[in-house]
Amino acid sequence: MADRLASLGTAVLALLLTALVTAGALLVGGYDPVVGLSALVGGAVGSPDVFLSITLVRSVPLILTGLAVAVAFRAGVWNIGAEGQLYAGAVAAVWVGLHLPDLPALILVPLVLGVSVAAGALWAWVPTLMKLRLGVGEVITTLLMNFVAIHMAAWVVHGPMQEARGVFPQTDPVSETARLPTMISGTRLHLGFLLALLLAAALWVVVRFTRAGFAVRAVGASAEAARISGRVPVERVVFWVFLVSGAVAGLAGGVEISGVTYALYEGLSPGWGYTAIAVALLAGLNPLGVVLTGLFFGALQGGAGAMQRNAGIPAVWVNAVEALVILSVLAVDQLRRRVDWGQLLEGGDGGSAVEAQEGSAGARTEGPAPQGAVRG
Amino acid sequence: MGELAAWTAFLEASVRLGVPLGLAAMGETITERSGVINIGLEGSLIAGALGGALGGLAWGSAGLGVGAGALAGLLAALVFAAFAVGLNTDQIITGTAVTLGGLGVTGAVYQARFGATGTALTLPTLAPLPLPVLSDIPLVGPALFAQAPTAYLAYLLAPLLGWFVYRTEWGLELRAVGEEPDAAQAAGVRVRWVRFWATLFGGALAGIAGAHLALAHAGTFAENMSAGRGFIAIAVVVLGRWNPVLVLLAALFFGAASALQFFLQTLGLDLPYQLFLALPYLLTLAALAGWVGRARAPAALALPWPEDEG
Amino acid sequence: MTPPLARLSGVVRRFGSVTALDGADLEVRPGEVHGVLGENGAGKSTLLGILGGTLRPDAGVVEVGGEVRELTTPRDAWAAGVGLVHQHFTLVPTLSVLENLALGHRQAAGGFGLPLEKLRAQTDALAERTGLRVPLEAQVETLGVGSRQRVEIVKALLRSPRLLVLDEPTAVLTPPEVDRLLDLLRELASEGRGVVLVAHKLDEILRVADAVTVLRQGRTVLEAPRSQVDAQVLTRAMVGADGARTLQRDVRAGTPKASEPRGEVEASREVVARLQEVHRQGSRGEEALAGVSLEVRRGEILGVAGVEGNGQRELCRILAGRDAPDGGRRTIPPEVAFIPQDRTHEGLVQAFDLMENTALTLQRTQRGRRGPWVRWSAIRRRTEELMDRFDVRAPGPDTRASSLSGGNQQRLVVARELEMAEDLVVAENPTRGLDVAAAAFVHGELRRLVSSDRAPGMVLVSTDLDEILALSHRILVLVRGRLSPVPPEEATRAGVGSRMLAGTAGDG
Repeated sequence: MADRLASLGTAVLALLLTALVTAGALLVGGYDPVVGLSALVGGAVGSPDVFLSITLVRSVPLILTGLAVAVAFRAGVWNIGAEGQLYAGAVAAVWVGLHLPDLPALILVPLVLGVSVAAGALWAWVPTLMKLRLGVGEVITTLLMNFVAIHMAAWVVHGPMQEARGVFPQTDPVSETARLPTMISGTRLHLGFLLALLLAAALWVVVRFTRAGFAVRAVGASAEAARISGRVPVERVVFWVFLVSGAVAGLAGGVEISGVTYALYEGLSPGWGYTAIAVALLAGLNPLGVVLTGLFFGALQGGAGAMQRNAGIPAVWVNAVEALVILSVLAVDQLRRRVDWGQLLEGGDGGSAVEAQEGSAGARTEGPAPQGAVRG
Repeated sequence: MGELAAWTAFLEASVRLGVPLGLAAMGETITERSGVINIGLEGSLIAGALGGALGGLAWGSAGLGVGAGALAGLLAALVFAAFAVGLNTDQIITGTAVTLGGLGVTGAVYQARFGATGTALTLPTLAPLPLPVLSDIPLVGPALFAQAPTAYLAYLLAPLLGWFVYRTEWGLELRAVGEEPDAAQAAGVRVRWVRFWATLFGGALAGIAGAHLALAHAGTFAENMSAGRGFIAIAVVVLGRWNPVLVLLAALFFGAASALQFFLQTLGLDLPYQLFLALPYLLTLAALAGWVGRARAPAALALPWPEDEG
Repeated sequence: MTPPLARLSGVVRRFGSVTALDGADLEVRPGEVHGVLGENGAGKSTLLGILGGTLRPDAGVVEVGGEVRELTTPRDAWAAGVGLVHQHFTLVPTLSVLENLALGHRQAAGGFGLPLEKLRAQTDALAERTGLRVPLEAQVETLGVGSRQRVEIVKALLRSPRLLVLDEPTAVLTPPEVDRLLDLLRELASEGRGVVLVAHKLDEILRVADAVTVLRQGRTVLEAPRSQVDAQVLTRAMVGADGARTLQRDVRAGTPKASEPRGEVEASREVVARLQEVHRQGSRGEEALAGVSLEVRRGEILGVAGVEGNGQRELCRILAGRDAPDGGRRTIPPEVAFIPQDRTHEGLVQAFDLMENTALTLQRTQRGRRGPWVRWSAIRRRTEELMDRFDVRAPGPDTRASSLSGGNQQRLVVARELEMAEDLVVAENPTRGLDVAAAAFVHGELRRLVSSDRAPGMVLVSTDLDEILALSHRILVLVRGRLSPVPPEEATRAGVGSRMLAGTAGDG
């Protein structure tokens, strides 16, 4: 229980720290932080329509990729390739959505989403194999696959799947029957949002209450102990987690096509796969937490546009803010664990306060151990 | 004669494309030898590119631009080191954050200075500097010795770093820190200190590589112009088995692979342009698949140290 | 009166809320071998850290050679003339012996190159004087533990220390190697140095020390010349009067009763595990197991003695079903309880709480699961029961494993594994790092289990000869990946010890 509170506290502290540093940076850059911040907030939650059509909609890909990343990280799998897996899913979704217009929506929509899931998993499959069979760390391989995916998507929209008009590098919109219905009429909030929430809940239940979920956590916390004491088939767990992670990220791409853009174009994702890392970390890798942090970042990204229009702060600042969030979480997490705050605050002997306990391994939050990521 | 010219052009392009990769990879080699993996190298690279561009514009000199680029790369690495070495945070996540931050900050600064239009800047060029006599050698002369000065830096650094790592006290300490930091500490080596400097050094070299990209290669700065070269550099370190000389050779090999795309294009093959863009990444993947099993990374790479703080 | 070589007075050191040293004293004279005794957890490692310059005392005075010194780094310790010989982690495996010796030397003042030639000359000179030879060009990871220790000693001696401090050096040596080492220490002391031997085993100290200091709970409770103490006095000092009583009780529970004949169990008992000509490669490509065969019956404790690094790791994992043999045949039950040597990384998940650690094994059983679901409530209850029965001191099953002491962590691992034990238990150094009372408790539980109704077979693989001798019905010796039986009449320290040497080329 104290664990969960600690994570919440970490998140809050990290956010405060980020806000402070951002405000400071804005000042240095000659911008007005107050104006900027209020434009940001207004652009995110200023009105019900804004909230529903922009913030919530923007949060869907973040929640989904955040789940993908969280699940992987939980098992110690460093899937930095959510971006590429998302694109793979989007490409597959568009293809099906364009080529099977005669199927009824009840079949076509799940089919579209289904192939995006498969495509995402497939995109993760190569790095998985390289990790398990060849011992190549997944960090670099997933990163490289991102670039390949982006170029593949670019080729697709410039070439074989380009719109019939042939003017812009984009596909034609998918047929009506391939589109996710809206949840609340008059807004752009689509069913994908509900899907994301359900998936988050399902993953939470699996991780917390099932044997498979327990195995995943054990592998992530200590693959050695999982193998020796838990007799967990570590390689098998890593394999499936990696694929599931890719699948969920692929789903994010499919949902975005089917629910928002209806067509594929270059730059579909403003880096969701990377933001997902911040989303997942801030949530402490907890699937339910990912919903909250996904919403938060959705608000950030939604408001960034308004921030640019109304306060003149370029939207690209949001990337820096995301990086700040990650660094703050890391820093706060480390400082909370290593400093004996009790003693420090009571003014005990300064020297001893910052030492780890002799013999104890020190409190370690559940999370991935990085060894496998580099050396495989 | 035409064939010789073609080969020379190919070699020259290989070297030209391989140099920035080589510089960044050699820097990262030193960093990883100390047991630290800096995924934020990409951030140092792009920072160096912007630094080089801004420095070049500010002082009207490409040389000073390179210096500014080195400094910018070093600063990005400083952020990384402060967290990953100083606070012992997770190296992978920290590196990812630094890369994200680097891309974000450089984008923000660029837009603040030049607006969001993305028109090309006119930067002072880091021109090729042909070396007397050497550049006249047939075939290899123009390829190796008529390059920008940063290439010569790379040629010099490779054997120098090799000697440093394998034949000096400091190099021994570096290797010990990367293999068994507890042992190094017991022998009186200041582990964090060594890792710190190794990381900053790597960042500085990556910054120089970035400045080269802006000032010698593209002639301008564009957002995200590093295009993942920092990540490829990390793969190159693996391929070069953490040996500075082999790393440079591996980087040049990659340059050759990239130069190949121009070759293939001139052959008139009707292949999509994007395939050529994707080629370096696909090649890296293939190379990693073929090579990695046999190389051994520094044993303490990416592990938090001290262990109980991680 | 000659001034002491080193003196610690009233040294105090805390770590957070734990006081590791609470007024420790130590006085070492030149030319003397000084034994420092104490249970695991008494403060010995902290004391070593302070002597070696890796820890600073919160209070108290450290004097070397009559001068008060502030030892803030290992370099300060060397400058003061203190040479620490560590047990682990101080050699870089992938470097050569010579490179390891060169590490941190900074002999070439301001120069760049490596002072390899100079070091070669120095080690030769040292070898002349002390008979200590080490293979300079060999990569450390190819060396056996005995050789590595010699390298450590050479490393320390190269700095010409006035005071040589050794941390439990005999733990990894065969009995003949122990003799060699103790002779060497006498030799070094006779040169006028001081030698401090830190240990928790009595007999070695009694053999070689001129004076003894005993630590208990961070304090020095006894300082005396050798002539004034014996095993009984020392034990009482180490565990204290109360401790002695509890210890008696635990040891009695853990030791075979006089009426219980130790010897082989009936041949009619079912064989629960069998290995036939099993081969296995080690992690470095060497042949760790070179054709081992054994049988374990219900209700028997099969002891496998041997010095670390002879294939124990591979043997344990193959018997426990965690690894597969490369060749040969193996018959083991589907579930094997395994108490691994490394409780920190293999026995427990430090980041998990106690309940989740119990779940590692329990969620595979009927009791701990319902289909694909984990029955957390049942696991919680069982964890509480185990904690109670095995006396695991912790606030509750939600406590994080990492906050438990080493002894309590081991209790939990033992509890969890013995709970699971149906047919076979493999125990790998189950009492390593435990204080005497906890060790006795574990021994008691192991014996109780094999003589209970369930009567699983047990394979006890240990580098602790006393443990093997005390518990085993039958003893095998593992040397260089081969097993050889010890006939019952030779099941003594000397008998087993000499077998541990057979087959080694004196190097190990």
